[in-house]
Amino acid sequence: MWKTVVRRFLIMIPQLFVLSLLIFILAKMMPGDPFTGLITPDTDPNRIEELRELAGLNDPWYIQYMHWIANIFQGDFGDSYTFKVSVASLIGDRGMNTLWLSLVSVILTYLIAIPLGVIAGRYQNTLRDKSIVLYSFISYAIPTFVLALIFLYIFGYQLQWFPTSGTVDVSHDKDSWGYFWSKVYHLILPAVTYAFLATTGIIQYLRSEIIDSQTQDYVKTARSKGIPMKKVYTRHIFRNSLLPIAAFLGFSITGILGGSVFIETIFGFPGMGQLFIQSISARDYSVITTLIMLYGFLALLGSLLSDIILSIVDPRIRIE
Amino acid sequence: MKKKNWLMLLLVGIITLVLAACGGGDDKKESSKEKVDTNALPDTATNKDEAIKGGTLKVGLVSDSPFQGIFNWELYEDAYDSEIMAYASNSIFDTKEDFLISDKGLAKLDVDEDAKKATITIQKDVKWSDGEPFTIDDVIFPYYIIADKDYTGVRYDADLQNIVGAVEYHDGKADDISGIKKIDDHTAEITFKKISPAIYSGGDGLWGYAEPKHQLKDIKIKDLVKSDEVRKNPVTLGAFVIDKIVNGESVQFKANENYWKGQPKLDKVVLEVVPSSSAAASMKAGKYDILTSYPANAYGDIKELKNTQILGRPELSYSYLGFKEGKYDTKKGEVVVDENAKMSDQKVRQAVAYAMNIEEVTDAYYDGLRERANSLIPPVFSTYYDSKLKGYNYDLDKAKSLLEEAGYKDTNNDGYVEDPDGKEFTIKLAAMSGSDKDEKIVQFYIQNWKAAGLKVELTTGRTIEFNSFYDKVQADDKDIDMFMAAWGTGTNPSPSGLYSKTAQFNFSRYTTPELETLLSNIDSKEALDSDYRAEAFTKWQEYMSEQAVTVPMYFRTEIVPVNNRVKGYDIKYVDGAELQNLELTADAPVK
Repeated sequence: MWKTVVRRFLIMIPQLFVLSLLIFILAKMMPGDPFTGLITPDTDPNRIEELRELAGLNDPWYIQYMHWIANIFQGDFGDSYTFKVSVASLIGDRGMNTLWLSLVSVILTYLIAIPLGVIAGRYQNTLRDKSIVLYSFISYAIPTFVLALIFLYIFGYQLQWFPTSGTVDVSHDKDSWGYFWSKVYHLILPAVTYAFLATTGIIQYLRSEIIDSQTQDYVKTARSKGIPMKKVYTRHIFRNSLLPIAAFLGFSITGILGGSVFIETIFGFPGMGQLFIQSISARDYSVITTLIMLYGFLALLGSLLSDIILSIVDPRIRIE
Repeated sequence: MKKKNWLMLLLVGIITLVLAACGGGDDKKESSKEKVDTNALPDTATNKDEAIKGGTLKVGLVSDSPFQGIFNWELYEDAYDSEIMAYASNSIFDTKEDFLISDKGLAKLDVDEDAKKATITIQKDVKWSDGEPFTIDDVIFPYYIIADKDYTGVRYDADLQNIVGAVEYHDGKADDISGIKKIDDHTAEITFKKISPAIYSGGDGLWGYAEPKHQLKDIKIKDLVKSDEVRKNPVTLGAFVIDKIVNGESVQFKANENYWKGQPKLDKVVLEVVPSSSAAASMKAGKYDILTSYPANAYGDIKELKNTQILGRPELSYSYLGFKEGKYDTKKGEVVVDENAKMSDQKVRQAVAYAMNIEEVTDAYYDGLRERANSLIPPVFSTYYDSKLKGYNYDLDKAKSLLEEAGYKDTNNDGYVEDPDGKEFTIKLAAMSGSDKDEKIVQFYIQNWKAAGLKVELTTGRTIEFNSFYDKVQADDKDIDMFMAAWGTGTNPSPSGLYSKTAQFNFSRYTTPELETLLSNIDSKEALDSDYRAEAFTKWQEYMSEQAVTVPMYFRTEIVPVNNRVKGYDIKYVDGAELQNLELTADAPVK
């Protein structure tokens, strides 16, 4: 298995290389450049042209590409044109925000979805099942931004239970308990919103897997051996029903850094999704290309992780 | 979390819709056609209650993106950063009417026009927020930041190069800027290559801010923009000092006890970024005392609030419709007019302008917070603005008769005029995309033009994204006959950077010898006499109006919602709020 993992990592290199070439060319093809937005009657067009020259934007694209790749190999992703800080520290900043938000969201999602899915599957067609199905239909149908705005309006502005924007209250000293608690406090509302919306798939998968499993031979065997129904559910059916969910887990883990534009924008939560969209509209090349490379790498890693997890939980599957 | 690819535009549009729904059904934006009398919006918040001692002012900065956090006047680029810096400002000049430098600021300006010299004298016994004395070195230092060879900002421009010796210093040929002389600890003398009336508006290379040399002198200029001294703990001359900051999200200021106008009455100011989707709700819930950068098109969401006063003032900008009359020759660096351009007939241009019902748009879509502009100078510049100019008010008959005079007639009865040669006449309009409102407004004007018999189509068939738009306009794309855009004027109203023969931003690519003369008169030596300058401005405005190559469309009004507990706040351009006098009359914003 380890051989395969190493091989998959090696294959990633040419894949990422092609990706880098593609995104670089596409990024340069977008109309405008980072300096287009600086046009005002007070700015001197000649100075803007000078800055373009300094930034190397007037060189042919392959020269720019070579510079960029060479710098990446030295661990230098360049500076953001908009924020004037290094891309690495910018992504580090936003990435940490997103990481915490996503982590809490994903944990919440599984905490809500797994019990609900199990209950719905086990007590199929009862009132409990029907209300859970209704819940998942609603959360499936409601658009992210609508729910985010509704939650923000009710819990943030009407009831004032939660903060309405930002990741932390500015009045706390860094590295104090108040600071940490404030961070958690700011996470709750966006994380709950996300979790509420993300549960649907897991509930439905789990429910139908459990319903299917009930008629499987191994369940009948277990029952005929006299194992109580409760134990059959917890030991036999539950484990088998988790397989498709485990398959997604790898992507969930790497998807954590993706961020959600809607939730971030509505809750004023500076994260990766927002950064990505904004750097595109500001033509912040260095940020755009680095982010896509990062996402590309994470997607490849995610599929590898999923395969590995599957091979662990399901002995029938082997990576050779 | 796979939705990151969605278009931001869609998001903004939809959020606006939903917000309206969230506002508890008081969505009167679309339905209310009654016009706001923009002159009736007060510029001062009134409050007769007793003030409390100290207190924390809560400011919401309406923005859907984090601020950049470059707190340095030489390096910042984003308007949001300058709004934050306003609380900790290092501005040394105060201004009076027309944004001309007055004698009331930290520094006084004396100009010797014949010797092309300016003398800056600063007040004595002023201290920086860290207690260090403020000296003339701090006034000279910014010039050295901008002219440094490693400076990467936009401000090393033609203006700054107008200072004698700046270019030599930048190119490494001199160790000092020879045109800047320190006379004593409180006086400096700057020599310019030329002096125009713009110097009194802070132009010609004069720099209006000081920087704490004692704090910044050891930092390399290329590292300055990333340094903590600029991003986290800048020393200031302003009323407040940055105390704590969360990158891109919020800033906490504390009172500057060394403030030269006296210690502020408030203890703290906390400023936070508020997403535009919940700005109105936050004001209603009493989360903030002041919202800055509040979008004027969301006026309907706050106008009924009982805990809020809405202040208004004119924006320093205008929107316009420009016609393409030629090309920019980048080699020669000048505008070349094409006499055969599609829109070269003055009468046709005037017809296009007369056919637009701008007043209906400002009433229906902008709650009257925009008004029809008659001139290319905003009215705030009261001395230079020509209020008598009529501009192009809606007159369909006149539009039709002008077209007929120009020989444009409908020869094939398709409802649209043909050109004098009998060929089909279609005008290509480039317009920027923004909210769904912008789209509707453009369609409305296209209907207007249709009524006059003019066939107008959108370049590329739809409204164009910002970057793309300016790319096309700047490159003189052949599919653009006219375009809708806007200019912020800043505080220096001189138009030569936008309309002269050599200006790259002269997007209409229009120039005549007469126009050049009018422009150079405005910035001439004679114009140092303010009556002469006002006259020169008037003549230029009249000429531009007559030529109708750049037709002004709207003047805009900026609105600022203020909670009822704030005392002593106003947004006047002249003698506006003094931050040290701001007070609050309750412990928390009124709900």
